[in-house]
Amino acid sequence: MGIQAAIATESLGKVYLKRRSLRELVMRPFGRSERIVGLREVTLEVRRGEIFGLLGPNGAGKTTLLKILAGLVLPTEGRAFVAGIDVAADDRAVKRAIGFVTSDERSFYWRLTGRENLHFFGALCGLDPRECRRRAAQLLEAMDLAPVADQQFLGYSSGMKQRLAIARALLHDPPILCLDEPTRSLDPIAAKHLRRFVVDRLNREGGKTVLLATHNLQEAEELCARLAVLDRGRVLRQGSLAEITAGLPGRDHYVLHVIGLPDLPPDRRWRLQIESDGGGPARVLAEVERGGTAFSDLLRRLLDAGATITGCSRREPGLQEIFDEMEAAAARGESR
Amino acid sequence: MKTLSTLGAFLKRDFLIEISYRTSFVMQIFGIAFTVLIWYFIAGVVSAPRTTPGLEGVDYFAYVLLGLAFYHYLSSAMMSFAGKIRSEQTTGTLEAMLVTPTSTGTIVLGSSLWDFLLTSVKVIVYLAVGRIFFGVVIRFDSLLPAFLILGLTVLAFSGIGILSAAFVLYLKRGDPITYLVASASALMGNVFYPSEDMWPILKTFSRFLPITYALHGLRRALLRGSRFSELLPDIEALILFVLVLLPLGIFAFRLAVRRARQEGSLVQY
Repeated sequence: MGIQAAIATESLGKVYLKRRSLRELVMRPFGRSERIVGLREVTLEVRRGEIFGLLGPNGAGKTTLLKILAGLVLPTEGRAFVAGIDVAADDRAVKRAIGFVTSDERSFYWRLTGRENLHFFGALCGLDPRECRRRAAQLLEAMDLAPVADQQFLGYSSGMKQRLAIARALLHDPPILCLDEPTRSLDPIAAKHLRRFVVDRLNREGGKTVLLATHNLQEAEELCARLAVLDRGRVLRQGSLAEITAGLPGRDHYVLHVIGLPDLPPDRRWRLQIESDGGGPARVLAEVERGGTAFSDLLRRLLDAGATITGCSRREPGLQEIFDEMEAAAARGESR
Repeated sequence: MKTLSTLGAFLKRDFLIEISYRTSFVMQIFGIAFTVLIWYFIAGVVSAPRTTPGLEGVDYFAYVLLGLAFYHYLSSAMMSFAGKIRSEQTTGTLEAMLVTPTSTGTIVLGSSLWDFLLTSVKVIVYLAVGRIFFGVVIRFDSLLPAFLILGLTVLAFSGIGILSAAFVLYLKRGDPITYLVASASALMGNVFYPSEDMWPILKTFSRFLPITYALHGLRRALLRGSRFSELLPDIEALILFVLVLLPLGIFAFRLAVRRARQEGSLVQY
């Protein structure tokens, strides 16, 4: 584990054993429980002060990893360190170093106000009453929740609930913050505000290390310096998004607006799909082999055939497309 | 010191939630008054003489009043530990508490404190209603031994309650302990009638229930003003129950937490 690592895992694995029903116990008393792999050989390192993303679809193992780091789940194999502390050896010391924001927005006492909730959780974080009051007031202010601090939690909007959850995770001023899909239930504007808050206030000003689990590629790209792509419990790749997508042998997607679209002879390097061909320029979706000269060759062919290209934009690959490409690469033994 | 401050935070939380339901507490007091009244009339119908075996020289209404009042501690222990864990699981607040550095034991204890405090208030209301409106004589001569018995009773019941919470934490559903102990205690624990009136086999079973000794000791202390030496057999029996049940409950709970962390089901319900 590097000196700069805020979080590090070494060959971390988690296997869940599915509980057997009464019927199964009767029918096959000596049968084995079904094994469900949550994490497999996860080795990654989150550097101090960076925003690191865990990107993956539902069921990829993101939440399992966060829960292991927060001491809620014990790993089956491998080791995990938070601020240099082994999570299996001293989970209470780990909990002092980490703030965990769950994706469950209900996790407050609805009859209490936001301030009362923070006072309660502050006491659980070991703050004395005076420090607790001071810290809660400071965080409510920082989260723009001061005007509603003395209103019951049950009246809060989803955005307010999420911000209060972040305030709660920051009560004991931990150096590391784990966010489990923090924008999942937010509208686009609230999500954007929250993302800016994570980058500007938590990371840049507060110097917090942030580990963010998300299935939103754009969010990961916007927030994270580096990320790990998880699928079915495995880390498919890790690094910057450019590093992760570079070298994938898949296809890039472009949207072209073309006047006078010619019939081009088939070429295995690209596939064209006309999406609309109304009165104006045709809208063409081009799937072009990544790397090499395929895209410039396609444009040249179109122009040589007399077409006019009025617009061209690159369409970012979807998360699923990236996963598919990575899995294909992994199957060919190209995973890194 | 930190633990005390944390437990105080739990009390404050539950107090604030309690008062947010404005009429709830007042309704509970009315409920107690009605219960006492019901048993007053039942006692009138039963009109068992003070010489009835097991009543130990007190009238039946006073006997059942104390039985009802202190049975609440058992209910609290059974419902509170397991019930709070279950309710915190379903609202998602258990996970939020478990990611803090506070130990799981403190969280379970803190979650139940308010219920015990509220139960104590209810017991006082029971005794006060009995004293003021129905002339039940409460003796204060043996108040200290009575508090000792009460403390041991709460600890012994807590052992069962924590065991019950372990079941809920691990099995994620109503545990067999709560139902079994609560009904067995009501049936054989000398709550509503003396065990002398039961079949011999049930009387034998009643000796394995902590409530039998708790109620026997408390009735003697509070209704007859018995001296410490007379209460000693009950106190010794309760100490034995505490020594067995409390470590058993704590061991089972720790085991349940560990298994739930291994299974990843700590906050599932």
